[in-house]
Amino acid sequence: MATPIPMPKEGNTVEECILVEWKKKKGDSVNTGDIIAEIETDKATFEIESSATGTMLEIFFKEGDLVPVFDNICVIGKDGEKTEEFRPKKKAPTPAATTAPTKSTQSAPNKKAEAVATTSVVQESTPVIIQEPAKKVASPRARKLADKYGISIENVNGTGPKGRILENDIIDAYHNSTKVSSLASKLIKDENRTVPQKGSGPGGMIVSSDLQPAPEPLSNMRKIIGERMCASLASTAQLTLSNSADATNMLNARKKIKEKLGKPGAVNINLNDMVMKAVIDTLLEFPLLNSEFINGNVQRHKDIDICFACDTPKGLVVPVIKEAQKLSISELSARVKSMSADARDGKISPDDLNGGSFTVTNIGILGIESFTPVLNAPQVAILGVCAITLKPVRKDGKVVFVEHIGLSLTIDHQVIDGVPGAQFLKSLKEKIENFDIKEEN
Amino acid sequence: MYDLIVIGSGPGGYEAAAHAGKMGKKVAIVEKNIIGGVCLNVGCIPTKTMLKSAKVLEGIKESSLYGIETSAPTINFNKVLERKDKVVSTLQKGVEGLLKRSKVEIIKGTAKFVAKDTIKVGDNKYTASNFLIATGAVPTTPPIPGIDSKNVITSSDALSLKDIPESMVIVGGGVIGLEFASLYSEMGTKVTIIEMLPEIAGNIDADLSKRLLQVMKKSGIDFHLSAKVTKIDKDTVSFTDKDGKNGKITGTYILNATGRTPVTDGLELDTIGVVYNKKGIVVSEYGKTNISGIWACGDCTGRSMLAHSATREGIVAVNNMFGISDRMSYKAIPSVVYTHPELASVGKTEAELKEKGIEYKKSTMPMAIAGRFIVENEGKQGTVKVLVGAKYGEILGVHMMGDPSSEIIFGAATLIETEATIEELKSIVYPHPTVSEALRETIVNIK
Repeated sequence: MATPIPMPKEGNTVEECILVEWKKKKGDSVNTGDIIAEIETDKATFEIESSATGTMLEIFFKEGDLVPVFDNICVIGKDGEKTEEFRPKKKAPTPAATTAPTKSTQSAPNKKAEAVATTSVVQESTPVIIQEPAKKVASPRARKLADKYGISIENVNGTGPKGRILENDIIDAYHNSTKVSSLASKLIKDENRTVPQKGSGPGGMIVSSDLQPAPEPLSNMRKIIGERMCASLASTAQLTLSNSADATNMLNARKKIKEKLGKPGAVNINLNDMVMKAVIDTLLEFPLLNSEFINGNVQRHKDIDICFACDTPKGLVVPVIKEAQKLSISELSARVKSMSADARDGKISPDDLNGGSFTVTNIGILGIESFTPVLNAPQVAILGVCAITLKPVRKDGKVVFVEHIGLSLTIDHQVIDGVPGAQFLKSLKEKIENFDIKEEN
Repeated sequence: MYDLIVIGSGPGGYEAAAHAGKMGKKVAIVEKNIIGGVCLNVGCIPTKTMLKSAKVLEGIKESSLYGIETSAPTINFNKVLERKDKVVSTLQKGVEGLLKRSKVEIIKGTAKFVAKDTIKVGDNKYTASNFLIATGAVPTTPPIPGIDSKNVITSSDALSLKDIPESMVIVGGGVIGLEFASLYSEMGTKVTIIEMLPEIAGNIDADLSKRLLQVMKKSGIDFHLSAKVTKIDKDTVSFTDKDGKNGKITGTYILNATGRTPVTDGLELDTIGVVYNKKGIVVSEYGKTNISGIWACGDCTGRSMLAHSATREGIVAVNNMFGISDRMSYKAIPSVVYTHPELASVGKTEAELKEKGIEYKKSTMPMAIAGRFIVENEGKQGTVKVLVGAKYGEILGVHMMGDPSSEIIFGAATLIETEATIEELKSIVYPHPTVSEALRETIVNIK
């Protein structure tokens, strides 16, 4: 019997998903476990695996369509089996692909954003009213010549009475038109390559070497990242403070952990885990930094729902570890690692990407000594963890070089002033400098 | 104050000067030697004139193949040289006439820069808003012990030998070496070529250079490839062959055909800060040097080392200096080796396409596919090889051996420069019967 494949519900908050790409076509043979399609929520991309073996009998949605969860997207079975009974009852939503393939399809994380998204759908699906251009008047001889040379008279300026287009205007237009080589025109047509104003071939002909690569639309994910970044910078008053903390204790702890690795029960706690633990402890002392600023109200979080920025092949993803204050450093470390792996593989649940009260972003491993992290709005603070560098320190009347880890804290000055921000950083610095792993045992 | 002073009156310089003159600019050209440069006086023109005599001789020797019986021909080498001088002199007058008609003033002497806008020729100073350096190149003197021996001659010397030499050792199997080999071998000289590379004819497509090698070997020329000349002692050339064995050959003359070196000495470029290196004066695709108002074209820039490239480069520079936007393209510079048979080539070779990872399709056909080739070339060989882009079928390279490839190759250059694809070429009509039909057949044959 034929098996319908429904759109899975990727997380509790997800109501619909974009069908990004079909990996199998109608008529293809499919085995259980084969990836048949790629879908996308507003946070991440997922793959749908087939739960049946057979032939792809019918496909109900096009690429780019926004599909409600649990609606059947396709049917797999033996050739000749009927599929119509599985067709989703509701009429398929307007294919998003015909306008903007992605914009209308985000399921918004909160009411405010939803309103924005809806507005943009309306704007984009509103048909563009094409205004009839004023009809150009051309002499019959001019029209005949324009036909012969394939010149559109709409683009020709007439020099005759009342702008009437004359034969000479067509001849001028022909000689002034940019010529494109046969190869270049094929590249423009087939590969959507970008055409320059002027060519470098014989007589100004546009040749293949003049063409720029085709413009690449941003992925849905990048668009979302871009919108969030711009929204953050446009709606907040960002101030970044930087300091650095003596990392000797942390590095010693890391050394001990490395020595124990491979032994039963050993957890590979790294420097980032240690900094995150210190951040969580500091946030408990500074609840104002553990909040969101929404519609003019400061919304404090009772828990430390800590987010961490994670680089994935498709772009930045920010998973959330809820109630992080309840986790030991080993648990925290394990959670960060498994969520990072899921995020990189595109398997992370959208539920793990929602909420959050404070964010940590770490690009220290790439040697960045300080930077200005962009707030994960509506959160009011974000910590950038930077590289460990040697810093001259006066000790017992001598100057010695001590390894320091850089810290860059961005705060929303609307909610937090510079002094409380600096106090947070000072306290965090002390926690890092006095770091001790013993608490684990 | 001149609008432009051109330094050097070779095909780069004189064409550029005439072009600027015709634009109504005040132009002068400085020449230290004879108007026309190497190309006209001791290069392209005289070699081709003498090669024509060799071709006539070849024709007479083979005349019975065409049903014409003659007695054995004799060579009057003096007359060969006289005709060469006459042709050169005729063309010189032509160039002088062109410069005169274009109102270009000729200044005789050696130019050196004293300032960015001033040169000195003899005791006189000349100022100009623009200078175009077109000083060309001279034969390279490789660091071989004995290269200054009396028996060693350059290509210029080889154009005015008193007699046909009994034997000649040519060091270098590039274009110049091959043409002289073809010329003197036909005239009866025993010719041996020693080439460092495993192939002859430099950057020519390997398939074609192999074929040319076969034909030239068959005509009696000896080749030592992958061989390095270690010493020259009077008339004896010592070399190490590809297996590391040492060999010796003697020749009445030893022709140094190892290449050409850009001329930058004596211009005092350092006075004005023009950047140059061993390869020549550094210029952009617009012909500009690093100093505003100083331009350069041709062999002295070391870019293409061909007369027709120099001409185009000079015109590009003049256009840009007087406000007409223009750019030098090297995509479709034809190159011809005037051996018997001729070899002509334009665009990329198969090796270049492989190296650059460009996907291509190819087609190779005998020239005898065109009836006219059989008519004209009794017992001769000819080949056409065409390379096109795999996806769009644009012509990437055309390589031909056989007469008269040199007269057909311009068509291929046009196709490459305008990026024509096979699709359109199928609708172009070639005259029948001509050898050019072989090019069409080779293109159409690509699937």
